[in-house]
Amino acid sequence: MNQGWTAVATWHWVANDENCGICRMAFDGCCPDCKLPGDDCPLVWGECSHCFHIHCIVKWLNSQQVHQLCPMCRQDWKFKE
Amino acid sequence: MAANTEALNKAWKTIVDFLSPGGRPILEVSFPEIQFQSAVDILVQNGIVNIIEDWFFENVQRDIRQRVAPNFWNYYTSTACQGASEWSDNLLKAVQFLHQVSEEYKPSLQRLESISSGTHPKNSLQTFCGVQKLSDVLITLFKAIIFAQVPNGYQEGLDHFYSEAFKVFNDTNSDNKGGGNEEVERQCDGCGENTEVCRCAQIMDRFHTVNRLLDEVGILEEVSGTSATALVHEKIQQHVEAQCKGRFETSFLESLENWLDTKVLGWLNLIYTGNRTHIGADCISSFRGRLQHFLYKTYAQVQINEFFKIIIDFPESAPAVQDLKACLEKTDMRAQLISTLRSSIETRLLHPGVNTSDILTAYISAIRALRVLDPAGVILELVCDPVRKYLRCRDDTVRCIVSSLTDDGSSELLDELIKGQPLVLDESGHSDDEDEDWEKWNPDPVDADPATASKSRRASDIISMLVNIYGSKELFVNEYRTLLADRILTNFNYEIGREIRYLEHLKLRFGESQLHYCEVMLKDVADSKRINARIKEEKAQRNEQDVVEVNSMILSAQFWPAFREEKITLPEEMQKLLEAYTKKFEALKGNRTLQWKSHLGLMNIDIELKDRTINFKVSPVHAAIIMQFQEKNKWTVEELSKTLQMPATALRRKIAYWQSQGLLKEESNDTFVLVEDHRGHTHDYLMTEDDETESAMASTQAQKEEEYQIYWSYIVGMLTNLESLPIERIHSMLRMFTMQGASTMECTIQELKQFLDRKVKEQQLMYSGGVYRLPK
Repeated sequence: MNQGWTAVATWHWVANDENCGICRMAFDGCCPDCKLPGDDCPLVWGECSHCFHIHCIVKWLNSQQVHQLCPMCRQDWKFKE
Repeated sequence: MAANTEALNKAWKTIVDFLSPGGRPILEVSFPEIQFQSAVDILVQNGIVNIIEDWFFENVQRDIRQRVAPNFWNYYTSTACQGASEWSDNLLKAVQFLHQVSEEYKPSLQRLESISSGTHPKNSLQTFCGVQKLSDVLITLFKAIIFAQVPNGYQEGLDHFYSEAFKVFNDTNSDNKGGGNEEVERQCDGCGENTEVCRCAQIMDRFHTVNRLLDEVGILEEVSGTSATALVHEKIQQHVEAQCKGRFETSFLESLENWLDTKVLGWLNLIYTGNRTHIGADCISSFRGRLQHFLYKTYAQVQINEFFKIIIDFPESAPAVQDLKACLEKTDMRAQLISTLRSSIETRLLHPGVNTSDILTAYISAIRALRVLDPAGVILELVCDPVRKYLRCRDDTVRCIVSSLTDDGSSELLDELIKGQPLVLDESGHSDDEDEDWEKWNPDPVDADPATASKSRRASDIISMLVNIYGSKELFVNEYRTLLADRILTNFNYEIGREIRYLEHLKLRFGESQLHYCEVMLKDVADSKRINARIKEEKAQRNEQDVVEVNSMILSAQFWPAFREEKITLPEEMQKLLEAYTKKFEALKGNRTLQWKSHLGLMNIDIELKDRTINFKVSPVHAAIIMQFQEKNKWTVEELSKTLQMPATALRRKIAYWQSQGLLKEESNDTFVLVEDHRGHTHDYLMTEDDETESAMASTQAQKEEEYQIYWSYIVGMLTNLESLPIERIHSMLRMFTMQGASTMECTIQELKQFLDRKVKEQQLMYSGGVYRLPK
């Protein structure tokens, strides 16, 4: 009976929080330096299971001289593969 | 001594005989001049020569008062009710009489002139009248005494006399004497009589005679001045009205001036020049200036009264605007233009009966027309102020502006948009510009508002003016965003080249940051298209075939305006399709998932009935409803609403669509059946408002409500900590905390008060003594 269907959806990151712990912007939005969400401003997860905008966490890690810690739980930051 | 007195008496008698005007014959004509001269000499010897003049004019005055004036006026009043023609004849007779009197005085005056040369006693009548020659004293006396008492109807008669002559003159001098018409035309245009008894020549003849005689007496200007001027003014008015009223596509100034020069001045020349003694040609030429001014003024008046129409017709009416501009430079009618235009705009435009889009169209052409008229923009500012105020209080103004900006139909605004200058908003202050050409600088007109910079008036273009109705870009950008979202979600067209082009234009105007959200929205559409293609490709590789081809529009929720929410649970087979799509999306984009807005979207379905197949393009909700009728033919609203998990009222609205299509029928109350057989059925066609046009976006009202919820949490926090607060404090604190971002709306104290009052009514808040507190 049906022929074609154009459906509407919104996409979301599968994350355990709504906002990025660093920039406090929504994950589904983008970090303050970006214009476009999604592919252009992706999320990354650490082994501690916290996640951030990639640009945010990279900036944070670059600013840490000695230890690279997760800003949320202070464990060593390792990117989750 | 006695002899001396006798000689004096005799001499006096001689002088009296000589100088007595009219009537009495002059004695002893054999050597009159010598006799007169010797009589004068005697008076000179006695040092009383100056009494001659006094005596003479005393006499003349009495004569005029007692004889001339009554006789003169007698011509007008003698016959009781006269026709115009007889009146003119009487005028001629009266003037002839006056001329005769004047001629009678002439010899005496000449004599008097010869004896009194050079000596002007200070108290003489001549000095009193302020004239050079003794003959002018006589003219003054004529004017003073005769025209001191004007009988009724004199002025009207005179007016008629002149206008009749003007008509004849105008007719004989007009160029369009079509030869073919003459036979048909039984009436002479000039005198209004039958052509056979045309009196044109007679009228003109009499007219010339009267003028000549009056001039010789020296009172032509006195008699004809008022009439001629009034007549000329009237004619100018008539001519301008007849020629120019309601015709805006051509410029009239030149032809009007031409007409003035040939017809009106020609006519005046006819009266006042020729070999006139008392009035020079320079008088006419100075009069020309005044008449020209009058012409401009009349023309301007006509155009000002019609200016509203001119504005509506712009740019077709551009010549009229140019004309008016020229007129305004020469006459002082700006204030009148402004007040007339304002009031006609108010009565014709600014009332509830006019569509907002029509007001906007008129506003736009007013901007255009007035900019031509007054490049400084002051008139525009003054006139359009009420329009702006009015538009501000209409709800759909922004929507109208934005939609006309982006519509295909109205290219005007689009052209403006493409011109693309950055917006000039009111708030941006301007310093004095150095780059402006100082030689071309002009001060602002006197009626300009000194508070606003002239530069901002001049530079602002139409789009800025429209945006300035509200003075905020945000409102416009938000409205544009909603419209854009609506367009995308009703058309589901993946080709967005055009939209992108618009967006680029708008970005030039409103700045990049304002339109960032819209950019993301368009990118969503492009991305969705790509994802759809990828998924389709994959399917093709795996040779999968679906019953329904699902495409999706995947949106970045953060950047879209709030969606209209609607509760529905789609039938399982539909759900499965969506789930399958979600799986594929998740495989494609790591860590991301989809949340379906099941009520939005567009389904292209074929409905196979017993006797035919019908194609529909409907929303998924509609499709879900009709699908239920596949299983069984009869559903009650209650059952349906349970299966689809949607509220009964919403469901009924949707069913109404199918009813109107003749597919469903309300068999009994709340029970619907599928109409399989088309023939022989009368459908209960319902006139339903087209559900399809319902916006996919939440209404502004709903959006606002949502924003207030954010405020409410802040307000509760405030009041918990500080116990009680007046509204001003609440507002300022809210501004501090929440109203900073670009996307948050501005909230006025009034709006806040309304919101708080509602909360008081809902008993979530208490208000007493000017402060708000939370109930305990």
